Amino acid sequence: MAVNRWLATGNYFTSYRDEQRIFATHLNRLFFFAFLCCLFVWPLLFEVSNKYMLVIDNILIAIVAIIGLNLLTGFAGLISIGHAAFVGVGAYCLASFARVIGDEHILITHAWPVMIILSGLLGAVFGAFVGLPALRLKHLYLAIATLSFQMIFEWTINSMTFFNQGQTISVGRVFWFTGQVMRADHYVFWYYVVLTVIIICWFMASNLLRTRYGRSLIAVRDNDRAADAMGMHPGLTKVYAFALGGFFAGVAGALHAYLYRGVGIESFTLHHSISYLAMAIVGGLGTLNGSFWGPLAIRTLDLQVDNLAEKAGHIFSANLSLATALRPLAFGLVIVLFLMFEPRGIANWWRIVKSYTKLWPFKY
Amino acid sequence: MTKLIVSDVTLSFGGLNALSSVDLVIQPGLITSVIGPNGAGKTSLLNCISGFYHPTMGTITYGNHNLTKSSPHQVSNLGIARAFQNLELFSGMSVLDNLLLARHNNLKYSFLSALIYYGKASQIEAENRAYVEEIIDFMELEPYRHKTVGSLSYGVQKRVEVARALTMSPKLLLLDEPMAGMNIEEKEDVVRFIVDIQQERGITVVLIEHDLGVVMDISNQIYVLDFGELIGSGTPEEVAANPKVIEAYIGEE
Repeated sequence: MAVNRWLATGNYFTSYRDEQRIFATHLNRLFFFAFLCCLFVWPLLFEVSNKYMLVIDNILIAIVAIIGLNLLTGFAGLISIGHAAFVGVGAYCLASFARVIGDEHILITHAWPVMIILSGLLGAVFGAFVGLPALRLKHLYLAIATLSFQMIFEWTINSMTFFNQGQTISVGRVFWFTGQVMRADHYVFWYYVVLTVIIICWFMASNLLRTRYGRSLIAVRDNDRAADAMGMHPGLTKVYAFALGGFFAGVAGALHAYLYRGVGIESFTLHHSISYLAMAIVGGLGTLNGSFWGPLAIRTLDLQVDNLAEKAGHIFSANLSLATALRPLAFGLVIVLFLMFEPRGIANWWRIVKSYTKLWPFKY
Repeated sequence: MTKLIVSDVTLSFGGLNALSSVDLVIQPGLITSVIGPNGAGKTSLLNCISGFYHPTMGTITYGNHNLTKSSPHQVSNLGIARAFQNLELFSGMSVLDNLLLARHNNLKYSFLSALIYYGKASQIEAENRAYVEEIIDFMELEPYRHKTVGSLSYGVQKRVEVARALTMSPKLLLLDEPMAGMNIEEKEDVVRFIVDIQQERGITVVLIEHDLGVVMDISNQIYVLDFGELIGSGTPEEVAANPKVIEAYIGEE
């Protein structure tokens, strides 16, 4: 039988390897790479102000962190209220280097990819350590353990002079093959770096999910008694899940530090942890593409609310600080609405759209 | 072939003895059944063997290994698989994924290889997928391969449960009431599977079952428990003639 690898129709798998591909059809892959090309090309075609580029960079960094949180909370079912602290561990790993060897040291400015990976690894170590209670605790109690890590992290940074007591520790400008990356190119440069990191992370995560290392995560989420009987140590699997989540968070933290050229505690507070959790929920827990939708949606919402608050500020009197009230209000409302009406998140809309276009123009 | 020896096992919860000095030997290559009225301690015994409970006294050995203090994953790594009485499937996943999960410890590739999914990882995953397909074929689960387990009927879920234990390629299979709540036809199917598992695949089977007709038909060896005590053992004929067993099941004349 003739096999048509381009469309879903007539795409017969003749080997198990075919079946396990990430892209089921050539068309899927083509779309994906075309989309990637667009992502890489558009900053060259359009002039974007630094302000908006910063917003986009922020979204991308959040995506890296959320991929980790999604593996941890979505796939392994372990709620983490300390994800911002894990991101902070990555950032402060870089900051510590800056404190010890100086922020313009060649290691920080030239070997930055190494530093990013190193921060990720440190994040993984801290993740595994914080995950140790998972050997004994479950569900909400475990979540409280992660919350306590968040608290301890903030307190430690705030009270140690080595960490400048939470004040900004600066990180030097990095070098690329073309020389030092200056202010004009800074945000575009980091856009490309973070985009590349996301692509690598996405491939790593989706590869993991089709091997034993990914399936074991889902197993401990769905039924850890059965997971135990299947021959995996449920506790250690959870610790490993924390390490995995911590790694992605650590990478995100290092990227954050480089992007802002400094590290301060105000970016890694409890508020941010909750906001990360919200992104994961709104995006869709337990789906990889949800990690992309969540940060996009929440950060866009933030932006819109800011705009709205500014406009409303002109109409109402200034002593009514509407902007500060609107933001948590909108934020909370969105989470509640999603939990009520679409607990599977935006990823579920994506799934519906995809299945609709697959069948179009037929209904089923 | 390795024997499973349960010697003098007592399991007590507070003052209650779920098992009191139970002695039994599971001979390799046979179907051994454990029967008894409700609350007799059958599932407790299986839990002790598979490591979910640890006996208060006594020892459980499998070949040279002492299972008395082992945890479930250590037991399953020795080739002892178990199907649960109350479904303990990964209900959000497809049948295929459930079975793939059972291969967890048969997949020998490194984490890094899994990250790039190239070479060893992809090759082993493909081989593994072929193995799972063989089990799907054996347990006649083809129509349900990609269905979510939670959406399947009870009878099929039970069969997936057995299939999942079988996918671990065990040497000893513990089946806890695989036919509970099934109609005659479904029961006949499962009985056929159990006999096939023993004869075609050469796997030792330990069966807990309430349907005495089935037990008498297919077992090589039967142990009877009542109130945590072993009240009889032997071939089906011997057990059927044992006055203690008759008393436990039908009551005194």
